[in-house]
Amino acid sequence: MPGLYPDFQRFQRAFARHARAPWQTPRPAGVEARAMGVYNELLFNNLRSFLDACFPVCRELLGEGRWTRLCRTFYRDWPQRTPWFREIPRNFVSYLQEGEIRQPLPAWLGDLAHYEWVELAVDTDPATVPLPAPSPVAPLLSAPLRLNPTLRKLAYAWPVQAISRDYRPRKPRTTHLLVYRDAADQVQFVETNALTSRLLELLASSQESSEQSLRQLAAESGYASPEQFVHFGAELLQQLQQQGVILGVRSA
Amino acid sequence: MLPPRSAFGAGLGFRRELLDELSHGVPAAINFFELAPENWAGIGGRSARQLRAFSERHPFVCHGLSLSLGGPDPLDRELLLRIRDFMREHGMTLYTEHLAWTSADGQLYDLLPVPMTGDAVRWTAARIRQTQDLLGMQIGIENASYYVVPPGAEMSETEFISAIIAEADCLLHLDVNNVYVNSCNHGFDPLAFIDALPLERTCYLHVAGHYTEPDGLIIDTHGSAVIDPVWQLLARTYERIGGTVPTCLERDFNIPDLAALTVEVEQIARLQAAAPAALRKVA
Repeated sequence: MPGLYPDFQRFQRAFARHARAPWQTPRPAGVEARAMGVYNELLFNNLRSFLDACFPVCRELLGEGRWTRLCRTFYRDWPQRTPWFREIPRNFVSYLQEGEIRQPLPAWLGDLAHYEWVELAVDTDPATVPLPAPSPVAPLLSAPLRLNPTLRKLAYAWPVQAISRDYRPRKPRTTHLLVYRDAADQVQFVETNALTSRLLELLASSQESSEQSLRQLAAESGYASPEQFVHFGAELLQQLQQQGVILGVRSA
Repeated sequence: MLPPRSAFGAGLGFRRELLDELSHGVPAAINFFELAPENWAGIGGRSARQLRAFSERHPFVCHGLSLSLGGPDPLDRELLLRIRDFMREHGMTLYTEHLAWTSADGQLYDLLPVPMTGDAVRWTAARIRQTQDLLGMQIGIENASYYVVPPGAEMSETEFISAIIAEADCLLHLDVNNVYVNSCNHGFDPLAFIDALPLERTCYLHVAGHYTEPDGLIIDTHGSAVIDPVWQLLARTYERIGGTVPTCLERDFNIPDLAALTVEVEQIARLQAAAPAALRKVA
């Protein structure tokens, strides 16, 4: 549409279209093949360096050819809006989850990519993780609890942490993970279960004591003896506190 | 928030790969560090803690990569607000960006040359002004390296840079290596190029190494040591602007140990010391 944009912007848009899809689009007028080739390579390799760094397992399991092709279609087909380089991998995870990808890919690839990305996300999460204040069991039960602000409760359809060159699962197996950064700024992965995950969800949103949350969970899961449930729950809370998932009681 | 501190003397690009060595002690030759806000702003955890440990003791310069000053997409105000807060947090007083574009209908994540037209001058200068209004300070714009001269040029590159700086009332961030790389790739006299720039506006300098392809094309990789002709060009630049403009060594790939980089930073300091004191005041 001549006239809508000044010439210099028409050039920029044509250049960008070509850089994203060098084989499917014409080279912009006035640009030599050698120079355009330099840019096509620089731009794609730059983008790829962020993906290679974040997704070493996905890359290894797909193999160089399929991985490169996937990175190419990501660059071509998926909007790249973020100016923050660390968000490119998150964008890639969204592409795997929501994009229309023609290339046949393993069913678990989206989960595996998310699992690889979440380590970066938690490692750089802007929240500050204070040192947990040690406290005995009783106060934990009698107050609302403060969870680690970097905590992510994840449920994957596939056993993502076991996937490797030697193990490519054929059947899904739901896997619950807690991923968080501890007070020493190390990223921790803890395998957990649906019940614990739900408990943490209740604890995060509740204004009541954690005992109330345990009782609610006992009712939700049809547990016959809430007293016993609270008793075991108290041990679980203590364990979660030792792991740094729960930081202590919430101050009013 | 840290008190504002300005960069001076010779500095080094701040990279995660160097943090271990730097945490054992920053060589005296390194007066300041430079970082890309796109890599460091808005993050927490270990990286944030490490950065803070250095920014408490050393001045930092904020050198942007993704703003796309010459690009057609809307100016990213959200990015700029985050950069403004980040600079305040770490007491930074100088932000520079490239005279380039990085996005058109989305990011391309690299620096691309702007066609040198009157429209582009007005467009880019207006965006620099908006940036300066938002940050509440003048910014420096850097001459970028490029491998293609975009078609439709209505003026020379030095005219283009000078016109934008004048219209935006901003500062010049002169990358001496980029001048050298472009002078080889596009066949011009690097010193004449530098002389044609509004040098009295120079706020900051870069030197770096590069890579030469088998066919002679030079790629601006920041992946090797600074070569002699670039050191000489830096010395000639100091003869013109004095030795007081802060100058950063960029090294982004094939990063050697800190001792090797320090030798290059010391070389900057030697050239600065050999130059006359400030000849032209920054506007």
